[in-house]
Amino acid sequence: MYEIWLAANILWELALTYWPLLAIYGAVLAVLLLVALRARPLPWRRRLPVALIVGVLVCVVCMLSVPGLIGAQLSDLAYWVDWANLFAVSAGFGAAAALLAWPLAAWQGRRA
Amino acid sequence: MKQGLQPESSAPEISAAVDRRDFLRLLAGSSLLLTTTQNARAAPFKTSAHIVIAGSGLGGLALANRLRRELDGAKITILDRRPQHFYQPGYTLIGTGVWTKDKVIDPVAPLVPSGVEWLQEMVAEFDPVANSVTTDGGRKIRYDFLVVATGLHLNYAGIEGMDTAAIGREGLASVYNGPDGAEASWQAMAAFRDKGGEAIMTLPATPMKCAGAPLKTTFMLRDRLLKAGTLGKSKISFQSAQKNVFGVPRINEEVLTRWQALGIGVEFEHKLVGIDIGAHRARFVTPAGENIERPYDFIHVVPPMRAPDAVKKSELAWQDGPMAAGGWLEVDKETLQHKRFPNVFGVGDINGTPRGKTAATVKKSAPIVTANLVEVIAGRAPQQKFDGYTSCPLIVREGSALLIEFDYEGKLTPSLPMIEPLQESWFAWLMKVKLLKPAYFAVLKGHV
Repeated sequence: MYEIWLAANILWELALTYWPLLAIYGAVLAVLLLVALRARPLPWRRRLPVALIVGVLVCVVCMLSVPGLIGAQLSDLAYWVDWANLFAVSAGFGAAAALLAWPLAAWQGRRA
Repeated sequence: MKQGLQPESSAPEISAAVDRRDFLRLLAGSSLLLTTTQNARAAPFKTSAHIVIAGSGLGGLALANRLRRELDGAKITILDRRPQHFYQPGYTLIGTGVWTKDKVIDPVAPLVPSGVEWLQEMVAEFDPVANSVTTDGGRKIRYDFLVVATGLHLNYAGIEGMDTAAIGREGLASVYNGPDGAEASWQAMAAFRDKGGEAIMTLPATPMKCAGAPLKTTFMLRDRLLKAGTLGKSKISFQSAQKNVFGVPRINEEVLTRWQALGIGVEFEHKLVGIDIGAHRARFVTPAGENIERPYDFIHVVPPMRAPDAVKKSELAWQDGPMAAGGWLEVDKETLQHKRFPNVFGVGDINGTPRGKTAATVKKSAPIVTANLVEVIAGRAPQQKFDGYTSCPLIVREGSALLIEFDYEGKLTPSLPMIEPLQESWFAWLMKVKLLKPAYFAVLKGHV
């Protein structure tokens, strides 16, 4: 339980450090959602796979690039814990990307 | 200059920080979590006691934040002149070229909790018999309870010929000497990396903070030489003043095995006692009294460490036993309460306890000291016991580290049971370079 609380606090402190980026992300997401919701009905469900593909692609790119961004190499990942954590970090970025892509994809789908 | 600084009025940074917090609280929806946690806490204990905290390092600020929350009506005073807070666990990263020094420097003012008085003077004298301290500004301050969190003194003067101003030049490095010293150390290491040669890494005989730092610096130096292609014309020799290179036997064996495989030589019971910076020669002494001179192209000096004079010369210091020579604070190793002055507690590097002078020690011990101090203020005996927990992400090369945690007994105590402490991992490196600083500030703010 303590470790969960510690992890939550680490995320919180990271958020305090990177709050301008989070604010920009939040604003862009809000604008996209607002625009998309105003233009309903949109094919949200039908375009979900597109958003998921974008998320998966970003996740893969992150898995390949995150080690290098912090001075390590992929060959330094020699332990299952390393891969689990790299996947968790990359999946987080992938999910954020998918969230942005979804309203865009839905909007695109309406025009198609 | 004397200055009584009220944090509420001190800083635009504070309001900015509050705005950020408020904004992100909404964004993340974490206010519910925070509120729930706060409601779950016991009501603050009402008291009019005056608590003086000597030191605004991690230990002092963590105690201030926690006591502010746990006590209602107490007067809390922090004594420390330094306007900047240094994230010391980052020094090895600066000294080996991973970070720049700006990553470890933060202003103290926004870190002081509201309602806590911050007096920008240093304690010059402790008088625990009279329950008072005297500052270097000549001010005498009486207290009801005292928390000693002064940190320790880097005794470079204990090495004949050592000049901290020369760090960064003439192949001289010492990552312990603050952010500037760590940055200068990287300059010296980078110059050596490009040419190669003879490197000497040292370890003092005294208790020391972050005992893993000399080992990390050694591993990283070897990695830098390897990547620069100069390892083949270089020799690294580790000169330990002790009978080992690390106090925990399993870790000691692990490091020595790795160094043997990496071609890093080790000599034990070689204490650095003198250095001729211009001539690039270091002088060591053995227990038999033999003087040995060694030439070098690069040397990493780890100074002997002791308590600051104000503690060492006071009644608070150990009067006999192995901790007396360094003047360390005489606390019970479990309750961290002073053994002779029950209204005094210690936190952090100053404690004369068997092991543990790291930020991780403060992480585990600050809540215990807080709880025990509140008990004593309430007229009860301390209840909580510290097991000596500390940890060290022991960097073995750029990109990989061992995440080792242990207690007073030297028993390995991994927080996450599935993580093997002696397995080198990228995750431990990720923690060191990205996650431990946020964790440190969560500790400092009294959240964890």
